[in-house]
Amino acid sequence: MIEDTSPPTRHGYRPDFRFGNTLVEVKADLHSFRNFRAALLQLAYYLSDDTDDRGLLVLVNPRITEAALRNEWRLIERALHPAMVRRLTLAVRRQSGIIPIAGNLKPALSKRLLLDNVDRDARVQPNRAPHSSDAILLVLLNQWFLRKGPMTNQWLMRAVGCSYPTVAKALRRLQDVIQRFPDRRFQLWGFPTDEWNRIVANRERAHPTLHYADRSGQPRNAESLLRRASKSGRNDIAIGGVIAARHYHPDLDLRGTPRLDLTLHSPDGHADLSFIEGLDPALERVTDKEERATLAIHVLRRQTSLFVAAPKGLPWADPVATLLGLYDARLEAQAKEFLDHLVMSVG
Amino acid sequence: MSSLPARGVMQQVAAAIPMECRGEIIVVGSLAAAYHFFGSDPNAVITTKDVDAMLSPNALALRNAKIVAESLFEAGWTLREDAQWGKAGDRSTPEEELPILRLHPAGNTDWYLELAAAPPEGRAESKVIQRLSTNQGDFGLYSFRFLALAEEDPLRSEFGISYARPEMMALANLLHHPQIGPEVVRGSTDKRSNKDLGRALALAWLSTERDRDALETWHPRWRTALERRFPKEWRDLALRAGKGLRALLDDKHKLDLDQATRLCNLSLLRGRGLGAEALRATGRRLLVEALAPLESAARTMPGA
Repeated sequence: MIEDTSPPTRHGYRPDFRFGNTLVEVKADLHSFRNFRAALLQLAYYLSDDTDDRGLLVLVNPRITEAALRNEWRLIERALHPAMVRRLTLAVRRQSGIIPIAGNLKPALSKRLLLDNVDRDARVQPNRAPHSSDAILLVLLNQWFLRKGPMTNQWLMRAVGCSYPTVAKALRRLQDVIQRFPDRRFQLWGFPTDEWNRIVANRERAHPTLHYADRSGQPRNAESLLRRASKSGRNDIAIGGVIAARHYHPDLDLRGTPRLDLTLHSPDGHADLSFIEGLDPALERVTDKEERATLAIHVLRRQTSLFVAAPKGLPWADPVATLLGLYDARLEAQAKEFLDHLVMSVG
Repeated sequence: MSSLPARGVMQQVAAAIPMECRGEIIVVGSLAAAYHFFGSDPNAVITTKDVDAMLSPNALALRNAKIVAESLFEAGWTLREDAQWGKAGDRSTPEEELPILRLHPAGNTDWYLELAAAPPEGRAESKVIQRLSTNQGDFGLYSFRFLALAEEDPLRSEFGISYARPEMMALANLLHHPQIGPEVVRGSTDKRSNKDLGRALALAWLSTERDRDALETWHPRWRTALERRFPKEWRDLALRAGKGLRALLDDKHKLDLDQATRLCNLSLLRGRGLGAEALRATGRRLLVEALAPLESAARTMPGA
């Protein structure tokens, strides 16, 4: 894999990564000129703090045509200082490969860097929402475990971010375990074992997770990473995994904390992972499931996070997300123990 | 290169320095680092042949260097044999042709002590050579500009002489190499910048081995040191301190990072079997946790 380094934050923004003297910003599925202009201007602001760096904006599968982008670039050339325009490059990545739109895109950079890193960064943005039926089941389970009582269609639609027909269809599928009330509210009345097993077997779909491993040979422990995460000032992340499981079930049978699990609430599909560098710049994303991760980021796409507030520091991820984090960490025995605890506590 | 017991050599150097100069000499380089990180282990060794010591302050350096050199000569220390530099100069020898004072302890040619001076204040040259006249002839007493940082709050060894802080040596190395230069280490094909920038990475790695958060404590000390030693240009220096490291971590300098890794594994990181990937990750920590806050401070205008 091509190595890259993460640039520091300036003006509340930082490009996705640095390659040599080029700072690269990746935007996936961009569909409006307004967003395109904002992305380019943000990159230009960033470059204005340094005289040596160049900037590259890569649009992954944009819904704007290349011809329209070239027209837009002509306006940009008239509006921005020529010295800045000379430092900017615009490219599009489609199935067919990298398409230079404006500026100087070196072939080596295009071939060696973009084909790898842009793919990776595009994958980091979980563009595809999980199936709504999965998301609906996870919310139903969560409300049941926490004994929140029955809910309405409207509430569930807002929590998940889906339409009435989608909710109705999911509820029909779960009718055997759904209890309906005269006022049309509903809730689970028992644990849907088969549906749950399906979720666990396909948890990457319902609960996509990004894994990070230390590359320095000196991994920071989960507590140290958590301390740093707590200082990140982000309100879209919550503690999951083993630490949260211990919060919900203090008797969990596990020594130590093998990794830090965080749940990142990303209802619009753009997972802002910039805080990870603040946790530890020595972390790198890994895709090999055999590699030991020190950090796992679970991306939550539904509209409502259902995070549980803590007296101080980061909130807790909900119990269901926490449970799925244990499965992801291959802590099967602890996951079963925690699940039994949750089901038993419903009574 | 020889494997030297770090603690034992520090003790030997301290014992050889006349008492009146002991408070005005700072050990720098690999011995300082090895003593700092491994000094408590009597069996720890450092692979090197040169022990660098700097006389500080500059105003007293020539006087003290003469006292130290003549005392060592009297104790039987001998000039290192060298076809080009193994003989003292005289008053007619131009300064730039004077040999550096490199002395083996009596009866031991495994290592030598190399004397330097703290840089004179207000000079912008990267290297300055002063004439040191002794009863054995004339030598060149050199100063590297950024070694002024080694004078900043040095640590005291148990043997009474001081040694430079790891973070100050790291910053001096970073500043000395704003790019990957072609200059090679004498007698080898290794680039000087790879050796020194790699040294900065090794110092960072060893510091985080003790304390994973150590690098976050570096930038306040760096800023104080730069403001004190280079008051007129500290902002510029702070902004350029990371340039060489960024270049080393750049993919187009992959072979340079490999060379830096190999050199680290032959010296301070010996026996740890680290790969370039580990040093690259350490470099990212150094950039984000130490250099970025320093750069940020330098960008903040006074009164802002």
